[in-house]
This record gives sequence, C-alpha cells and structure tokens, in this order.
Amino acid sequence: MKQSLKNSISRRALLVAATMAAAMPASFALAQTNEPVEIHVMANEAFSNMIQSSEVVEFNKHYPNIKVTVDGVPYVELLAKMMLDATSPTPVYDVLIVDDPWTPQLAEVGALQDLKSAEMAGFTAADFDWADFNAAPLAASEWKGVQYGVPLRSNMLMMFYNRTLYQKAGVPEPTPALTWAQYLEQAPKLVQDTNGDGKVDAWAIDTYFVREPLTPTIWQTIMNSNGGKLLDADGKPAFNNEIGVAALETHKKLLDFAPPGALAHGFTESLQAFRQGTVAAMFQWGSVYRSSAVDPKTTTLTPEQVGIQVLPAGSVGPGAHRGIWSGAVSAKSEKKQAAWTFLQWLSSKEGETWRTNNLGTFPARKSTLAAKPESEWLAPVFASLQLAYDVSAKGEMWRIRNPRSDAAQQILADEVGRAMAGRATAAEALQTAAEKIEKVLN
Amino acid sequence: MVNERLTSAHPTHSRLARKFADLVSRWAFMVPAAVLLLAVLAYPIFYTIEISFSRFDLATFSAVEWVGWENYAHVLDDYRFWESMKVTVVYLVFALPLQIVLGFGIAFLINAEWRGRNIVRALFIIPMVVAPVVAGGLWRMILDPLWGIVNYVLGLVGLGPLDWFGDPTLAMAALIIIDTWRWTPFVILTATAALLALPRDVFEAAEIDGANWWAKLWSITLPLLVPIIAATFVVRWLGAVKMFDIALAATYGGPGGATNVINLFIYEEAFRSLRFAESAAMAVIILVVTMVLTAIFLRGSRLLEERY
Repeated sequence: MKQSLKNSISRRALLVAATMAAAMPASFALAQTNEPVEIHVMANEAFSNMIQSSEVVEFNKHYPNIKVTVDGVPYVELLAKMMLDATSPTPVYDVLIVDDPWTPQLAEVGALQDLKSAEMAGFTAADFDWADFNAAPLAASEWKGVQYGVPLRSNMLMMFYNRTLYQKAGVPEPTPALTWAQYLEQAPKLVQDTNGDGKVDAWAIDTYFVREPLTPTIWQTIMNSNGGKLLDADGKPAFNNEIGVAALETHKKLLDFAPPGALAHGFTESLQAFRQGTVAAMFQWGSVYRSSAVDPKTTTLTPEQVGIQVLPAGSVGPGAHRGIWSGAVSAKSEKKQAAWTFLQWLSSKEGETWRTNNLGTFPARKSTLAAKPESEWLAPVFASLQLAYDVSAKGEMWRIRNPRSDAAQQILADEVGRAMAGRATAAEALQTAAEKIEKVLN
Repeated sequence: MVNERLTSAHPTHSRLARKFADLVSRWAFMVPAAVLLLAVLAYPIFYTIEISFSRFDLATFSAVEWVGWENYAHVLDDYRFWESMKVTVVYLVFALPLQIVLGFGIAFLINAEWRGRNIVRALFIIPMVVAPVVAGGLWRMILDPLWGIVNYVLGLVGLGPLDWFGDPTLAMAALIIIDTWRWTPFVILTATAALLALPRDVFEAAEIDGANWWAKLWSITLPLLVPIIAATFVVRWLGAVKMFDIALAATYGGPGGATNVINLFIYEEAFRSLRFAESAAMAVIILVVTMVLTAIFLRGSRLLEERY
C-alpha cells in the first residue's frame, strides 16, 4: 500500500514536472493528489497545537486528501529528537519545523531536502513566489547556498513599550532613533510609584536575564547595533573586544531598572510582568504582541497602550534579532510531495495572509507586510516588523550559524549568565566564552 | 527411560547427567531474566561507556571512532564540570542530612496516637507525587521576590525582600528547600514504618526501670533506628545524586551556574549542545564516583547494623 502510494506519487511527480510549462490554473493543483496520504510533522510544543487545530484544518479545506499529524516536542529536546529521527533509516517525520540556528546542523547530517532541487521543482506551484520573501527570514533556512526551508513563524526580537507608563513618567515614547545611551538615561524615571503609596510598583524594563540560551541574544543585539559581530570572516569568535564587553555591561545595567528578582527572568516572567502593566518596556519576541496587547484573556493591556519597535540604536543603527521557525522537508521522507504541498500552502501568500489575520502569526512575505491587514492593530506591527527584517539583514543579527551552533550558544548562555550574576566580569566572561567557542567550532 | 538405563549401567554417568539436566533447567529459568537485565540495564551502561571513548557522529547518531581518553580530557579540562561538581556537593551536604533529620524528627513527633493521624500521613505523599517541573514552577511562585507569599510573610516581621532566585546563596537555599519539601515525606513514611516496628517490650521494660522520654529516645529508639536511618540515607543519596529536574524547572541552574548541579550540566551538554560523547564521559565519571561512595555508605551502614 505504502509502496504503491509512493510509486503513484512518483509517477505523478514526473508527469507534473514534464508538464510544468502547461501549468494548471490553480496554484496548488500542481501538487495536489487525490489519493489519501498522511504526513507527520515535528514541531515545538509551544505552537504545535495551534498548527494542528487551526492551520491544518484550514489547509484541509484545500487539500482534504492530505492528513497531517503534528507532534509537539518540548523545545529543549526538539533538535536532538529531530536529529535522531531524521538520521534513522526510516524516519517517522516528513516535515520538520526548525528553529533559526538549526538549519546548518540538520543540513550537515543530510536530514533536510533541498527545496529548490529538480526533484522538488516538480512539486512546486508555478506561482510560488520565492522572491517575495524578505531576505532575513528566508536566509534562516539557507545553508551553503541551498534553500532547505520556508519561513513559517517569523519572529524578531523587538522592543515593546507601555504608553501609559511612559506618559506617567513624563518620558517621550521611544522611536527607532532612540539610542541605548538615551534609553539608559530615561530608565531611572521609568522606575516609579504609579499609585502614590510610596512604594515602587512599576519598573523600566524586563527581558531575558536568566541563564539560558536565549539570554545572550539581548547582549548580541546591543553589540550588533554598535557594529560588533559574533564571528569574524574566518568563523572565529570576534566578540571578545571593547564593543562586546560594553554591550554586556549595558545588558547587565538593565538589571538596575528591572523588577526585583529579574535576574531569574526569561521569556515567561518578562512577558507576565509586561502584560500585568508593571514594566514600561520589554525586549521580547515580536510574535507575543497579540497575547500581550490584543487578547483580553491573556493581557490587561490594549493595542492603544502597547507600542512596538526595533531595539534602541547603537553607533551603527537600531537593533533586532532574528528568530525564524522554518518548515523543512525531511530528506528521507517518502511523501515529499505532500509534505512540500503542506509547507507551500502555509508559506504561500494565501496561507500566510490567512494565518496572519486569523492567528496573529508574523508574515515573512513583503506582499503580506505591504498589504492592509484585516485587524487595525497589525498595521503598526507590520511597519516595525519590516524595519526589523531590514535591520537584522543589514547587521547580520542572528545567532551563530554553524553545525555546532547550539554548543556555542550554550557556552554563551553560561558565560553571559555568569556576568549577569556578578560571578565574573564582562571581560572575563567573554574571554572564557571566546576560548571555549573557538574550540567547539573548530 | 533413558535416565533409568543410564542409572543401572553407569551410576557415575547417571549422576553427572542428572547434575547437567539440573543445571540446564536452572539456566533455562534464569536466562530470560538475565537477557532482559542485560538488555535494559547493562546494555545502556556499556553503550554509554562506548560513546564516552568515541567520536559521536550526529549524521548516523552513533559512536564511530575510538578516541581513547580524549572526551575525558575535555571534560576534566572544563571548569564548568568542576563548578557543577562543587554545586552538587554543596547541595548534597545540606539537603540529605536536613531531609533525614527532619523526616525522622517529624515521624517521631507524629508517632503518638491522635485522631486524623492516618489522614496526615496520607497527605505526606502529595509532594512526592507532584511532578518535579510542577513543583519547580509552584515554588517559583511561592518564592517570587515581588508576588511570593514567603517574602510577604517575611515582610510582616520586617525581613526581606529576599531575591530567592537572583542571589547565588539563596538560589541554592531555594533548591534545597524545594527538594526537602518533595522528599522529606518519603523519609517520614519510612521512619514511621520503622518506629511502628520497634519492639514494644523493650520500651515497657525501660519504663519499669524508670527511663524518662529522653533516655528512651537516646538509648533505645535511636540505636534501634540506626540501621534504618543508614538505609534511608543510602536510598535518598541515590535519588538526590541524580537530581536535575527541580533545578531545571526552578532556577535553570542559575544565577550564573550557582545551582547548575552535575546532572543538569550533563543534560544540557547532551541535549542542548549535542555533545553526546563528552556528556557520556561525564556520566561515566559520575557513575564511578557514585558507585564508590555508595559502596562506602553501604559498608558504613553494615557496620552500624552490626554495632547496634
């Protein structure tokens, strides 16, 4: 049965490839098969349920014959499980939804399918517009000139701010021109007693300070916006210098204006503090905008109260940091056509627009960002997101891209964590990190 | 039938045959269990040892090349390994005695007959069955510097606010508190069972001799409980030495690695950094250290049993 299905798909693929010039009218009719086929998707458990319950349901309205089962895996185990599955002789998963720095690691072990290969071209809709993707999100799933994925959840590290708290403090709202020096000058005023009971009840900032792999992204963004880089052209650590040290000291300085206990704060804690209206600003992944400003079930704030923009500027410009989840097809999948059909629809103009308007996921396509969104609150978010894409592409604001990037990121997490906790100076921490990362990457 | 013929013709052969048949039948019963044990217990250990001496290829997800002691050298050269070992020692030195003293103390205090005793004992099981991740999250809320009830109560008596997860010493204290909350009930239940099993006649004789409460505790109860205390210590030691889930959920090993116990470090190196060979080397080192210390504790436990 499985073999006959495979043969059937292969025959159809050949036929489709041969008749591409005379493409059928509907974009995805090319990739559509009538025979039932089931594909398995491995994704981060943080959003696997949303994919299964919403995106797959919408997808099946167009492709009822492709049954999609999405399995969620906790983030910390996701890469290891993907590697384990993709390198087995008979992998279970046809689609892998991979985090920003993982493409090199998975590509190096031959786990991912080249989506622009001749084989996949036969399954690709004629009007699937690769050029419409913004460069930064598309580059997340590219490695050594080969495109292994398409952006599905385009996230950028952004600055959220609470207009009410800024007004109460008498501090002007941030703009993309705001510099780190100006922000640090304003920060003491944003630590305030808002109800007049004599106790401080609102703070200037909350973000990643805890010892974990995403905390160094804040330091890195400050460094990048000042012209610093993680690695040089030869792939050797280039962050152990004045710019890197100053950036880490700035990151640590933010703790002075953060709520008590912020040293243990990461994604969840900073998000909670912002949603409860206790911090004036938050450096956080842009995709949380909907749950922080729109959905009354999860936030006390409204879109009118919450502004979003790029992170403050350094000497070379504002900062952002790329965090794209890309959809990739497993190289050993026997159902590549169905898997790619699913990913094409999710990342197509149609699919992306539907997901943006209905689920609030961030688009990667220029056309989606340029179009007027259905919800009013999305318009300023789109403008900021487009700027963040441009800024991150220009400053190469992303994590280390190397088959051993996770090991390097963990070392950065350890050392940035030590500096944050005062167990090492910024210079000592970066010196240790540079020595260790050089060993790991070579 | 064959056996009968052999018996009559060659008695020695017959005995040997019976012995052989006996041996075969014994092994026939033992082999399935032995194979099962080898498969589920020994194989993973030997595979870990193999990985620890090899280069681990992520493309095939297997050990591919013998590298000798190289992974061990990397591990022993990594200051983070030694830091984690120190953190683990501090945690064990404080958490284990605290749990044993608290567990046996509480068990002794609730050993008297009173209404509702059984319900209270049943409630003691709750912390043990709460998932470590849930316990970690729960205690993060309880100890939150801003919203947590502990700081609120401390504030009422003019103490704090304490930054439980931001200060290295307090973070370790928080870890010990959470672990003690989870595992002291286990010690209490063990101690309660031991106290109930103590021979009544010895206490009755002591009472007739005029022994007071303290004399009975010091001269009878504690000596009789020593073997149980030692055994409980060994069991808890084996559980505590592999603890990492509470640290992962409550402190993430921070601040700055202050609560990064060795098993959390191994886990992070394996599953976050994908350095399986180095992680395997660390696991083998910990296995050997744990086995040596466990052997010492068991020997000590046996000596105490013999003495008392």
